[in-house]
Amino acid sequence: MSHAATLPAPRRFVLPHRLRAWTRRSPLAAAGVLLLAAFALLAVLAPLIMPYDPVAADAAAVLQAPSQAHWFGTDANGMDVFSRVIFGTLYAFAIALPAVALAILVGVPVGLVTGYLGGWTDEVLMRFFDALRVFPSIILALAVVSAAGASVVNVVLVLGLLDAPVFARLVRSEVLALRSGSLVECAVATGNPVWRILLVHLMPNTLQGTLAQAAVRASWAVRLSTTFAFLGLGIQPPTPEWGAMIRQGAEYMVTGQWWIGVFPGIALILLSLALNMTGDGLADLLDPRRRSAG
Amino acid sequence: MRRALPFLLRRLVLLVPLLFVVALGTFVLLRLGGQDPSAMLAGPTATADEIARLRAQYGLDRPLPVQFLIWLGRVLNGDLGHSWISNRPVLAELVDRAPASLELLVLGVLIGALVGVPVGLISALRRGRGFDHAARLISLLGFSVPTYFLGLALLLIFFYVLEWAPPGMGRLSLMLDPPPRVTGSFLLDALFAGRWETAQSAAAQLVLPVASIAILCAAPIIAQTRAIALSVLSSPPIAYAEAQGLPPRTIARIALRNAATPVVTFIGAELVGLVGSGSLIEYVFAWGGTGQFGLDAIVKGDFAVVQGYVLLLAVFSVVVFLAVDLLVLVLEPRAGRA
Amino acid sequence: MSLLEVSDLHTHFVTRDRDDRIRTARALNGVGFTLQKGRILGLVGESGAGKSLTVTSILGLLHPPARVVAGRALFQGRDLLAMSASERSALRGNRIGFVVQSAKASLDPLARVGEQLVRVQRAHARRSRREAMERAEAILAAVSIPDPKRRLAAWPHEFSGGMAQRVVIALALVNEPDLLIADEPTTALDVTVQAQILDLLSAAVRGRGIGAIIVTHDLGVVAQYCDDVAVMFAGSVVEQGPVAEVFPRPMHPYTQALLAATPERLRLGAGLRLGGPPPNLYALPEGCCYRLRCDRSRDVCRSAPPLAQVGDQRAACHFAREPAEAEA
Repeated sequence: MSHAATLPAPRRFVLPHRLRAWTRRSPLAAAGVLLLAAFALLAVLAPLIMPYDPVAADAAAVLQAPSQAHWFGTDANGMDVFSRVIFGTLYAFAIALPAVALAILVGVPVGLVTGYLGGWTDEVLMRFFDALRVFPSIILALAVVSAAGASVVNVVLVLGLLDAPVFARLVRSEVLALRSGSLVECAVATGNPVWRILLVHLMPNTLQGTLAQAAVRASWAVRLSTTFAFLGLGIQPPTPEWGAMIRQGAEYMVTGQWWIGVFPGIALILLSLALNMTGDGLADLLDPRRRSAG
Repeated sequence: MRRALPFLLRRLVLLVPLLFVVALGTFVLLRLGGQDPSAMLAGPTATADEIARLRAQYGLDRPLPVQFLIWLGRVLNGDLGHSWISNRPVLAELVDRAPASLELLVLGVLIGALVGVPVGLISALRRGRGFDHAARLISLLGFSVPTYFLGLALLLIFFYVLEWAPPGMGRLSLMLDPPPRVTGSFLLDALFAGRWETAQSAAAQLVLPVASIAILCAAPIIAQTRAIALSVLSSPPIAYAEAQGLPPRTIARIALRNAATPVVTFIGAELVGLVGSGSLIEYVFAWGGTGQFGLDAIVKGDFAVVQGYVLLLAVFSVVVFLAVDLLVLVLEPRAGRA
Repeated sequence: MSLLEVSDLHTHFVTRDRDDRIRTARALNGVGFTLQKGRILGLVGESGAGKSLTVTSILGLLHPPARVVAGRALFQGRDLLAMSASERSALRGNRIGFVVQSAKASLDPLARVGEQLVRVQRAHARRSRREAMERAEAILAAVSIPDPKRRLAAWPHEFSGGMAQRVVIALALVNEPDLLIADEPTTALDVTVQAQILDLLSAAVRGRGIGAIIVTHDLGVVAQYCDDVAVMFAGSVVEQGPVAEVFPRPMHPYTQALLAATPERLRLGAGLRLGGPPPNLYALPEGCCYRLRCDRSRDVCRSAPPLAQVGDQRAACHFAREPAEAEA
């Protein structure tokens, strides 16, 4: 395999070719990436796409069913559900992305150091993570956020810190596997300081696994972040956030105005699905056993 | 059984530090906001007198470690404080509602496992074919639906649109009285009492919430069972079984047997994780179990209940993990010696 | 009729690379050898030469992406490669016993040893559990496992590596096979245990008068235990014949180099001639596979080498009849 890798191939030709190969091998993942890109675009271009102001109440157009004027209908305040769903994408990204970034920023270094150095810090930390597992993460997150006050910053902090052990465990197990191998042995033998072994030799090897996990955890963070608002913690209803919209929509399902809650719900499922599919595909890509023609 | 007893004893000894950490974590939970804990415990309706009494009662004017020990002593005596919403002892409130939650959770996980495990196995055997891809997509969908929205969507479809299911308003039709309490499960109790109409209503109320939990837990069970089965199928013992010319059915049995331990362990972990989702499902269906009670307490800031609820969940998890360990001991000749 | 006659066996690995191009690794390229009843054949070669792949191909134990694309393997006159999977499965573990490389990893960890011995008997013959258990005990005794009655109830993890290997040999012999195939049976074991296992294995084969193939990379094992030898390089048998003829007078340059590299020869002052990587299986050189490493390579080696025969000894080389310079 090293033979093919050393051939000087023109990069702008090889890359799309690889992409096409990857698409064929895991179409689910490709669809996920595409969907994710569409959502990202939606978030960035939200102000241009939204036909209405997402928080402009219109007493003349309350609880209207989906129509030409309002694709997804209007809610109890006469706000345009379509515009609100699009704007909600921003909230989803704004909470999930920093939360996962925080989890990685805390978890990866912890995993690297404890995995490589071992000893009692490693032991204590792992026992602590084990102890954390006895609390269902949803309940723990909700309880902590409610105790600390349900601001957006707190939600991000709690989600990020609760999720850090996931990355710490992942990186630690990969480091443990590599530590006994020749890679580290050679690096030590050639006189590399510890920080260099960690950053230059070990970290790049854990990067792909971390990335695949990051997508899956972002999906979890998106779902959980909307749960806060759905329960009435933190972000409150007029705000165009998906969870808050579904909370409002749930009240109107009884009377038949299903569109208020269903459209943000579908958007939420799609974004969550896109992230999961992306993570699944990345994990697939890492598994060389899946690379046979069959 | 000869192996079980020393194993169990060793586990129980190991549990002590774990439970201590759990208690400490639960205690710290209350202090995260930096607010006055006595005010939080007493609730927004409390008078200054009540707060002062609570403060003395819990020793909240003492140094933190002392406070923790005082609290721990009370917890060990079964005193989890009072709910300011219902003004009843927290422990009694939680335990009264536990059967309703357990009924939902156990049925849901059972059905989820009964569907998920075979689907995962078939996926592994038909790897890369249509069934595998379909199962994978469905499992990914199950991963991606937020718990509470799944409950709402099922209600919308099967109650409002199709009118097949009863409304999501509790465990029994409002027209009926609950059966005399034996197990705490309305379905079982109604059957014991021979009240068929009540049993029917209880069963009908169970369908949607149980289905929600089954769907939620089937997704990861499918994915994990598939992965476990794939790794077992490519393991040396299976290759060796083929080299011995054992018939396909025998090989399948060997593979199943070798996949059992990791699958059981995973389902145990799922059961623990699902307690959170279960409480959201209870919330959506107004189930009135421990989960809904705990969630309400979290939302309304009934901190004595939140503390007790989190502690109860931790104890439940510990019991489940212990049960899984015992099960593994039965399944695995190698277990329990290390 | 030979016990086993393999001819022109080709096995390929078909995979896709990262650019989604189909790549074919030609792992076996026309392997052929013959085994007579009552003889032990040593299949030798360096890592990646295709020794183990040859036996797994014959037994029909390949999984994608590997597959047999051509060849014949006549076992007692019936072609193993042409029969159905279930017919082949009925022969495996029954008429053909198989000894794996890593016994401890390969035994079913969740079945007692007695149960595994009963299982393989009842898979191939109508036999009561009781009778099968009695045979199991007898065969454990036959492979020198002490206290066989009690060991029937033991779990695989309670055995040491050497004892587990004895169990695997018992499993291979319990149905009284006509052919025993051992795939590197001692690689995972301590040196002292290796000799015991090989003594046991050859005694069992000799005592029953059956045929056996021992896959190994150890020329010492071949010299000591085998009657015949087949030397493999890059998925082909380059030389074969009776050990008594091949070892003193190797015809193929690769065999010569291999024999020259044994510690005994090196101590005698013979120059080390072995070297270089095995050829790329994705792009095999045309003609003789060994020519890139061979010091006698000429232009003619670009064409397929003829089979030279002296007595029972055969070698695939253009210059096989020339005496090796190193020997002169």
